[in-house]
Amino acid sequence: MKNTLKQVFHSGKFVAGFGILVFILLLMLIYPLFNPGNPLERIGVGTFAAPGTYVSVYDSISAEKEILRLSDADDKRLAQMMSMEDRVSMIAWFTAMDIDVTGLDMNDTDALLEMWRANYDDSARPAGMTKSKRNFYARLNNTINDASTAEALSVTEVDLATGEATDVGQIGKTDYVNINAVANVKTLPLGTDNFGRDVLKELVSACGTSLMIGVIAGIVATIIGLMLGLLAGYLGGVVDDIIMFVTNIFTVIPSFVLLILISYSLGQDQRGASTVAVVIGLTSWVWTTRSVRSQVISLRNRDHVNLSKLSGHSVMKIIMKDILPYIASYVVMAFILQVSSGILAEAQLSLLGLGPKTTEVPTLGLMMNWAMLYSAHLNGSWWAYFPVILTIALISFSLNLMNTGLDQVFNPTLRD
Amino acid sequence: MSKTILEVKDLTTKYITRFGEDVYAVDHVSLKIEEGKSLGIAGESGCGKSTLALSLMGYYFAPLHYTSGEIIIDGKNISGLDPDAVRKDILGTEVAYIPQAAMNALNPTRKIYKFIEDVVLAHQPKRNKKEIYEMAKSRFAELGLPVSALDKHAVELSGGMKQRVVIAISTILSPKVLIADEPSSALDVTSQKMVIKMLRDMMDRGFIKAMIFITHELPLLYNVTDDIMVMYAGQIVEQGSAKEMVFDPIHPYSRGLMQSILVPEEGTRDNKLAAIPGTPPNLKNPPKGCRFAARCKYAVPQCHFNAIPMIEAGDGRRFRCGHSIQNLREVYENDK
Amino acid sequence: MKRYQKYFTKKIIWFIVTLIVALILNFILPRLMPADPVAAITGKLVSGSTDATASARIYEKYQEEFGTNKPMIEQFFIYIGNLLKGDMGTSFGQYPRKVNDIVGSAIWWTIGLQLPAIIVGWLIGNVLGALAAYIRKGFDKVLMPLSLFFSSVPAFGMAVVLLVLFAVNLKIAPVSGGYGFDMIPNFSWAFVWSVITHYQLPFWSIVLISIGGQAIGMRSMSIYELNADYVKYARFLGIKDRKIVGYVFRNAMLPQVTGLALSIGTMIGGALVAEIIFSYPGLGSVMYSAITAADYPLISATTLIITIMVLIVTFVLDIIYAFIDPRVKAAQFD
Repeated sequence: MKNTLKQVFHSGKFVAGFGILVFILLLMLIYPLFNPGNPLERIGVGTFAAPGTYVSVYDSISAEKEILRLSDADDKRLAQMMSMEDRVSMIAWFTAMDIDVTGLDMNDTDALLEMWRANYDDSARPAGMTKSKRNFYARLNNTINDASTAEALSVTEVDLATGEATDVGQIGKTDYVNINAVANVKTLPLGTDNFGRDVLKELVSACGTSLMIGVIAGIVATIIGLMLGLLAGYLGGVVDDIIMFVTNIFTVIPSFVLLILISYSLGQDQRGASTVAVVIGLTSWVWTTRSVRSQVISLRNRDHVNLSKLSGHSVMKIIMKDILPYIASYVVMAFILQVSSGILAEAQLSLLGLGPKTTEVPTLGLMMNWAMLYSAHLNGSWWAYFPVILTIALISFSLNLMNTGLDQVFNPTLRD
Repeated sequence: MSKTILEVKDLTTKYITRFGEDVYAVDHVSLKIEEGKSLGIAGESGCGKSTLALSLMGYYFAPLHYTSGEIIIDGKNISGLDPDAVRKDILGTEVAYIPQAAMNALNPTRKIYKFIEDVVLAHQPKRNKKEIYEMAKSRFAELGLPVSALDKHAVELSGGMKQRVVIAISTILSPKVLIADEPSSALDVTSQKMVIKMLRDMMDRGFIKAMIFITHELPLLYNVTDDIMVMYAGQIVEQGSAKEMVFDPIHPYSRGLMQSILVPEEGTRDNKLAAIPGTPPNLKNPPKGCRFAARCKYAVPQCHFNAIPMIEAGDGRRFRCGHSIQNLREVYENDK
Repeated sequence: MKRYQKYFTKKIIWFIVTLIVALILNFILPRLMPADPVAAITGKLVSGSTDATASARIYEKYQEEFGTNKPMIEQFFIYIGNLLKGDMGTSFGQYPRKVNDIVGSAIWWTIGLQLPAIIVGWLIGNVLGALAAYIRKGFDKVLMPLSLFFSSVPAFGMAVVLLVLFAVNLKIAPVSGGYGFDMIPNFSWAFVWSVITHYQLPFWSIVLISIGGQAIGMRSMSIYELNADYVKYARFLGIKDRKIVGYVFRNAMLPQVTGLALSIGTMIGGALVAEIIFSYPGLGSVMYSAITAADYPLISATTLIITIMVLIVTFVLDIIYAFIDPRVKAAQFD
């Protein structure tokens, strides 16, 4: 046993897979310590806030200010203010005025502004341009000029009782606050989802639930597969025929279809995460049964088994002592594969709208489903779906790697 | 004196392991076979006899590598030839091989005649396929094999039949030397007999001119080959005529090998059945002196330190031992 | 010839038995649903009406039409009888459209998409796996983990990534559908071209998904075959390496046909979900809308059609395999 483990941990592939898995597990255990609370809590009111650090505007105003004179501040402000559409419109103006724009980079704010300041003339009447369009350019020009002139915003406090507004301060363009002096700063490394939930927090929790679903499905499938495989392989005869008949049928009937039918029949209210896991397990035992059976058949007539039979050991004892230790590696390998396919099955079910109940826990599949329902993939909110895909891929990649590593340890011909 | 068909001079080949170590599995082996003769090679598993068989082909691929020595077939030195030239002009036509596990030696999804076609075309690319088929048919008939086997896949043939088909395929181009590596050890006694009859038959008909037969069963050689050579740890330890080797082995190892097997021949009844204790040395680090010394009950201290040269005892008899013939005979006599 | 007959008979009987079991499961499982589908649909129809007798009448009418008021076993025979007549009932969600119409048009999109994609994925995967086994060293070192990673990416994930990359960002492919939304199916060039452009992304996402698994299987198989005794023997007979590699890959590839038959059920699950991502007008999308609309005649029809498709593919592959691989012939026909 110790020797086998040593051999297993000598396999590079196994260790790599194991490493990735342990990393994910550690992240799952440690992250909630830093960011506790309900992962399904809606902190955002809008949908899909982008990843980043959010600073409370209210608190910034009351924080102590410092004056910093930064030479590039105006340009940066302008660059931030000028949307892509504004830039395109500016180029359009140049073109309408027959100004040569070759070599001008739209993203180079400095060059664009320089050209704009040199050429914009509010009295010009480019051919074919409507009045409203000309007004748009005038407004754009004002915005650009405003950004560079020194002007302050005044802060007004509204007395709720009287409705009176009194000026309480001014914010100049050179006013800065230290981020540490702001009471409320929230970093959302993966932004928020369509419900305004913290995606990273949700992802960590979903990852745990999905792994649990995978493990439960794996255990259910392995227990069923092991039992049936042992019975069929060891007893043989009619028992074998019946079990193999059933197994063969369920090999060709796609388990995915069964999964849909059963999940659908259960109904939304009955589908907790663990119920879904058990259902997945109930539909994916065939491969374990097959591999256990063929292993048991090859073991059944080995000398050590025959010896135990002749010594009058009970079937139970023979199976526990003389058969199970020999097929353990196959069972472990099948289990690992089942965990990974269980996670995948949950995700696919959820995408069809047949996943676990949505109010209790997030799962990777549900997160994917929500992101798709709210078209995160079409509106550029990559943080809502890409980390989910990557997490699923990494988990099954690590499990598959471990499995390949084990395969090479136990089937030496596949070794490099 | 008849013509020498195969002559091997100081052939050394090595395996390079996964960890980059050299293992000299064939160490300075020299031998000679004359036309119409057959040589048996015997030894425990791991003694280098199978490696010698592969090395004699002159065609090396990882992990087996050629180190030094010469292989001369019918006057033509094939060591040092370009590997592709060996493949095209030597393998199958000058020297042919029958593998140990003939059960799996044939591609299961290719019909026998198709495979024969591949073999012939590899050496004579211009041959007409129909002609090859006819040739295979007549060869099968001559060797007493059912012609219908040609149109079958290997999986459809029985074990014994597969082995005989493999022999027929190996010799389809009438090679000068046939090297058979335990061709019969996986077969039942009847099939074994048929295989051996077939090999002798081929010698008689001149399909092959000389044969090397490798086995771990010494008594089998007595019935099949003219001479017997015993190998130990990559070296030849003794060679002589089949009769001498079976009834009067000189080297302690050959003697041990004889005594470890029941020989159903007259004159060997008094021999005690005894396994040779110990295991062969590790060839990654062979001992400096006699390689058998560690297991030899007649070893004296200098056996462990001095390299032992081969001693020619006349009439093609040779052996590699620190003791003289007389000495050894005396000791053996005392033992009884 | 008699041996073949026996083999086929055995296979056909097996096919029929499996089909019957599939039919029973397909019938029973949705009917275990706790909710009463007829109540749900009549509830939708009569909402706003206060006339209790009217809604009761409507309820009975639908019970009659869907046969939910009869005992289970009788329902089953009606179901089988209808199936044999080629009638799969009326959709709840898209009432009064016939399920036949909905499924009938979707099935060709699915077959047209998935069959070529799975075959192409299988071929590319096998070639890559064979190369990895033959070249080993660097190629294998890169290809193996890569295949493993690709086979770990869920089908829908691959679909989304391709969609975002090529349709949303690069805008070189349409975002969704099977053809331009402004078109009516016909045989004009414009329509065919539209179908082809809409085909690319779903097709390649399924291909990419199936490559990895096949490559890994083929690699192990090829390594096993490369170490086989016949390789060594053929070499010592002077047969060229190129020819021997041909033997090896043929022998390694043949069992992959069975591998395909066994994995097609799993692959189709992923591929159907990929269809949903692209709103491809195939069975996956039909199933999705059926599930959202709690439309059980339609769900039951799609699951049944998918099962039958998988059964047919498995059956055909079994038969093909028996013909092309003499190893099976020897084992099965005797």
